[in-house]
Amino acid sequence: MANSAPLTIDCAGRATRAINEEIRRAADDGVPEVELLNPQARHNLGVSVLKPIHVVYRGHVGSFTAGLCDGITAEVHGTCGWGVADNLMSGEVVVHGNAATSAAPSIRGGRVVVCGDAGPRSGMILKKGELIVGGNTGYMSGFMMQNGRMIVCGDADTGLGDSMYQGVIFLGGQAKELGSGLEEVDAENGELDEVAALLDRFEIKAPAKFRKLQSDRKLWHFNKHDFAAWKDVL
Amino acid sequence: MSETPSTPPPAHAGDSSVEVLEDAAPAPNGAYPRPDSFSGVWPPEVIEEIQEKAALGRYQIRGQATKRRGLPSFDDLVFVPAGLSRMPLEGYREKCDTQVVIGEGNCENPLVLERPIMIAGMSFGALSVHAKRALGMAASRCGISTCTGEGGMHHEERRYSDKLVMQYLPSRYGMNPYDLKKADMIEIGAGQGAKPGTGGVLLGLKMSDEVAEMRDLPEGVDQRSPCRHPDWMGADDLYMKLEEIREVTEYKVPISIKVGAARIGNDVRIAAKAGVDAIVFDGMEGGTAASPTIQLDHAGIPTVAAIAEASEALADMGKKDTMKIIVGGGIRNGADAAKCIALGADVVYLGTAPIIAMGCHKPIYLEDYARLGTSPYECQHCHTGLCPVGITTQLPKLMERLDVDEAADSVTNYLNALTMEIQLFARACGKNRVSDLDPNDLRALTYDVSLMTGVDMVGLGGRTPWWKKF
Ligand SMILES: Cc1cc2nc3c(=O)[nH]c(=O)nc-3n(C[C@H](O)[C@H](O)[C@H](O)COP(=O)(O)O)c2cc1C
Ligand code: SF4
Repeated sequence: MANSAPLTIDCAGRATRAINEEIRRAADDGVPEVELLNPQARHNLGVSVLKPIHVVYRGHVGSFTAGLCDGITAEVHGTCGWGVADNLMSGEVVVHGNAATSAAPSIRGGRVVVCGDAGPRSGMILKKGELIVGGNTGYMSGFMMQNGRMIVCGDADTGLGDSMYQGVIFLGGQAKELGSGLEEVDAENGELDEVAALLDRFEIKAPAKFRKLQSDRKLWHFNKHDFAAWKDVL
Repeated sequence: MSETPSTPPPAHAGDSSVEVLEDAAPAPNGAYPRPDSFSGVWPPEVIEEIQEKAALGRYQIRGQATKRRGLPSFDDLVFVPAGLSRMPLEGYREKCDTQVVIGEGNCENPLVLERPIMIAGMSFGALSVHAKRALGMAASRCGISTCTGEGGMHHEERRYSDKLVMQYLPSRYGMNPYDLKKADMIEIGAGQGAKPGTGGVLLGLKMSDEVAEMRDLPEGVDQRSPCRHPDWMGADDLYMKLEEIREVTEYKVPISIKVGAARIGNDVRIAAKAGVDAIVFDGMEGGTAASPTIQLDHAGIPTVAAIAEASEALADMGKKDTMKIIVGGGIRNGADAAKCIALGADVVYLGTAPIIAMGCHKPIYLEDYARLGTSPYECQHCHTGLCPVGITTQLPKLMERLDVDEAADSVTNYLNALTMEIQLFARACGKNRVSDLDPNDLRALTYDVSLMTGVDMVGLGGRTPWWKKF
């Protein structure tokens, strides 16, 4: 029988392995929500939870928070270390602070929202799903993106979307430099309204306008004599 | 051997300079090529290489391995079996143990290999699913493991491989927690001998719909994989990444890390400190389905040199008994394998040899080799996706050429022969466990390999040179 009482875990003094086991057990038992107190910037909290549950992190967390999860929802009330929501399969992870380097690496579905700024390499090799950054994002963000969508409300550093195969990036601010193999295209009808509504849901202020960027597909095939396009990416 | 069919030279009929040539005296004997007239600096293969780059506008890519000859090799070492100072074991009667266990004491289900051999990581994509299945069948019969390689875990591979290692690579193609949990060991990929420091390559003809779907890529695209993991860079992050994977796999299975042998001593130290159960590396002779040719020939260090450096580093870290060394790169037979073990490896890691055992280079379908501009024994066209014998291809018509049962039998036979050869050297050296082979069972034929490996030179083994007494 599903257990409907939320669970609170005080992380202080407990081993990560034991905490994660307790979260997984709670998810298996149908517990709807688990609240983690005193995460103390610890790494790997909430890794590999594969049944739906809502995880609330009360404080700063370390690397690979909610890594390799499927079907969970989570909110982080603090900043995150590297690789938040690594390889997420489905679900939604919302960070109400900043995220360090490599937010949402290689996610294969679901949505990751960083309400503040994201560090370098956010959305790298993003495969499916969506990464939203409310503030700015660092260099090489969206590098080799394979599909999915990245929404950056603020500015991006150098190399945005470099060598991306497919997918789209919506950029609200300025990019210091666009990566190789990108082109700007017009948003489709209603697309920007949908993005605005989504940002509204996370109480992120939408920028005045967005540029829509995608792969120009010039790097899809090796046999090019176009040295200008290839010299930086080989 | 060229990547692209060569185009005929333009006709110059009527060109005055050509008329001058026509008037000139004919070449002596009139016969070309004359090998003695080739330049030492610009031999035909160098000319061909330059002209191919001139046509392609990029570096060359090909499969298999470096073409360099004369690298320090296992052939520079010989065994010094028992005589009067030691007793050999009876070949057919006395047991010679071959088992290796990885991750003992560090995880719930250590990987037990019945022989000190693993089938190397070769992706579904690089190999056809038939080849994967055949490797799985053969490895299972021999009690050893196969490895997914880069493209994710194919269900057929899981089905046919009793022990399957899953690679966790920078590209993360097909990565998901469910397949990680199904694996018998996780191998974090950080490089390979054929192309250390660069990412994978899979050219468009091999990017079939199924391969593309598993990798989340567009069908037919020329795939270039990242060379660096997206979310960890250095030694400290590796420790965290390791904890993440142990969490996913619930501390059940061992974790190894693979690099191309280059700065191997330091890599081993970092891996040991991070707490992996094994380090995997292959030397510059390591095989590939597609790598830049220039890198095959000029990056990384030879396998024989790498093992000694790695063994020393591991001993330095005090982990010789707990962490395993898994070595690949140009291992052809039981002698190479036994020498690896004597130098400090626990397991040998075979890519190209089992592929050859199942029919790579087989002199059949000669017309298709010819269409690629090659022939058996010199073919290195795995990158094209047009493998004449149906191993490194995704085209159904070519794949059909590989009879899976026959291929599985051939690989099994080869692995059995290799195991017997390894045991032969161990027994001859008086060891009832293959893992007891050590550097003292070897002598070096060349000074350079003696220096690299610390193995005594032949003729000087274990004694002071006669002239030092005087
Ligand atoms: C067809 C083929 C595909 C390969 N694919 C991968 C791969 O996906 N990932 C990887 O780490 N190494 C890959 N390798 C390298 C092997 O894992 C291994 O390191 C190498 O083959 C060992 O050298 P050997 O071929 O001389 O035995 C591949 C090698 C071959 C021949
Ligand atoms: S026969 Fe096939 S597997 Fe062997 S080298 Fe040629 S293309 Fe590669």
